[in-house]
Amino acid sequence: MSIFEYNGSALVAMVGKNCFAIASDRRLGVQLQTVATDFQRIFKIHDKLFVGLSGLATDAQTLYQRLVFRHKLYQLREERDMKPETFASLVSAILYEKRFGPYFCQPVIAGLGDEDKPFICTMDSIGAKELAKDFVVAGTASESLYGACESMFKPDMEPEELFETISQALLSSVDRDCLSGWGGHVYVVTPTEVTERILKGRMD
Amino acid sequence: MGDSQYSFSLTTFSPSGKLVQIEHALTAVGSGQTSLGIKGKINLVALCHQCCYCYIEVVGMLVANIELLMIPSYVRSVIAAANGVVIATEKKLPSILVDETSVQKIQILTPNIGVVYSGMGPDSRVLVRKSRKQAEQYQRLYKEPIPVTQLVRETATVMQEFTQSGGVRPFGVSLLVAGYDDKGPQLYQVDPSGSYFSWKASAMGKNVSNAKAFLEKRYTDDMELDDAVHTAILTLKEGVLTPAEIEDYLQEVE
Amino acid sequence: MESVFGLVGADFALVVADSSAVHSILVHKSNEDKIMVLDSHKLLGASGESGDRAQFTEYIQKNVALYQFRNGIPLTTAAAANFTRGELATALRKNPYSVNILMAGYDKGTGPSLYYIDYIASLHKVEKGAFGYGSYFSLAMMDRHYRKDMTVEEAVELVDKCIIEIRSRLVVAPPNFVIKIVDKDGAREYAWRESIKDTSVPTA
Repeated sequence: MSIFEYNGSALVAMVGKNCFAIASDRRLGVQLQTVATDFQRIFKIHDKLFVGLSGLATDAQTLYQRLVFRHKLYQLREERDMKPETFASLVSAILYEKRFGPYFCQPVIAGLGDEDKPFICTMDSIGAKELAKDFVVAGTASESLYGACESMFKPDMEPEELFETISQALLSSVDRDCLSGWGGHVYVVTPTEVTERILKGRMD
Repeated sequence: MGDSQYSFSLTTFSPSGKLVQIEHALTAVGSGQTSLGIKGKINLVALCHQCCYCYIEVVGMLVANIELLMIPSYVRSVIAAANGVVIATEKKLPSILVDETSVQKIQILTPNIGVVYSGMGPDSRVLVRKSRKQAEQYQRLYKEPIPVTQLVRETATVMQEFTQSGGVRPFGVSLLVAGYDDKGPQLYQVDPSGSYFSWKASAMGKNVSNAKAFLEKRYTDDMELDDAVHTAILTLKEGVLTPAEIEDYLQEVE
Repeated sequence: MESVFGLVGADFALVVADSSAVHSILVHKSNEDKIMVLDSHKLLGASGESGDRAQFTEYIQKNVALYQFRNGIPLTTAAAANFTRGELATALRKNPYSVNILMAGYDKGTGPSLYYIDYIASLHKVEKGAFGYGSYFSLAMMDRHYRKDMTVEEAVELVDKCIIEIRSRLVVAPPNFVIKIVDKDGAREYAWRESIKDTSVPTA
């Protein structure tokens, strides 16, 4: 069993027209035992920047704490929010610092950059960035998410349609994965607002 | 202890609340060759002026996303349409036997930031080295060029540390840092104490007060860069040449 | 084998733990108290390697006490739980403690709370949680019978159901359990559930 699969997770981000969505499952498990069904894997960095951390729960929490710390220092120092591209480089650098004893996390970063251009990216646990124009996935349900997203994604969706698409992709994917599920957490981010929704899925 | 009994340690305040070593450092700056900077409209140019032999050396034209130029000749060739910041300095060589190409008083920190000093040349090299390293570290972390304010703050932090640490002395230089970033053209002066200010135009070194007075007279908010370059040269020349000579010189340039 | 579980009721939280000290196939002791009264309003139920458990729980207790001495105010349960997670997480990549923790506490304003912290330092606020082999039974029982608004009597009745299930279904069931409660009046031992007594040692 891989350490990345110890707690179970499903994570996906999609780009729409001047907006993006990021979604995750809500399960916290220890192998096959479910410990909680209200776990948080997606975190807000600022109003237009979100990070999701799939993989080992403890490392997701540690990493999130470090990222928030670094971003707060940056905000104070530079009197501005970080651009998504810049934040991705920071995450990458923090992960690579631990090249030989990595955080067992695969992050997904989604944000709105200059002129509210959507940006999504993922990276492996040692910080190799992978940029995408359409969608990125991570976690134990990543294989099924690839399939679902590949068939359901359309370019330039409006926020409402994007929400529907990402939610359906997530829910159908976690049903084929033993280690993730128990509902979902979806954020849809437009230049003017952030919508957060909790999904009920197959609660078993 | 000729100066005062409080000069034995640079970290000891005098009763009047001064750190005399820092004052001395400022004196060193004040007797150094004149440097100045003028912020024009948009982009940025750094230039180095060799006074004695009427050589104007433009070290670089720094515009966002444009490669650095090293043009050791007349100013006009690089002005083009660029607006921005000019930094200039007097480059008085001790003898005509010195190879003037070996003297570089204006240095490049990043492709979009340049710096000039007044005061002790060797001290400036330490700061330039540290600043370049800082800029590179920022670039490596964020994959994005360091903003001028950030680099200025880092440099100023180093200068402050050298006023309070053991076994070191303050830097005998003031810096003019000129750069271009998202916030447009910027000009900062950093002093040996570690304090720094943003300027529309500033001067330091020998003849500061004259130079500043001159700049105050000539500066306007909507200055085009070539005006700024002109003003820079005039300001430097003002300390040395007579008005007639300046007139001649200007004709030669145009 | 080890069973530690707990739940949050209407205005209290409780933690239950078996009281067997086991090494290999030998039972050394059947009245070992695995629930530490951390401070006046906190309980720390711990399972795992017995040496680590003793060392780590005491370390946490002393540091929480130190905070209170220095600052004149106690840590909230949330703060103590996050502190504990932090210590566990830092230790994780140096010399890990194998201790799983359930921290229950009562704070003015927030009321009772229960935190799940496993040995790899995943922290989660839960209503009910369990560690060890007993968890397979106690979690199932709690999923079936738990309500948010349980009284102490109802909760203890549920605890007894869990204990009965563990004793009847787990091959390596421990004989004795201790139940501790924390509410507005403080943290205290509530009851023991003993099926065997340690034989008293005659004094020499």
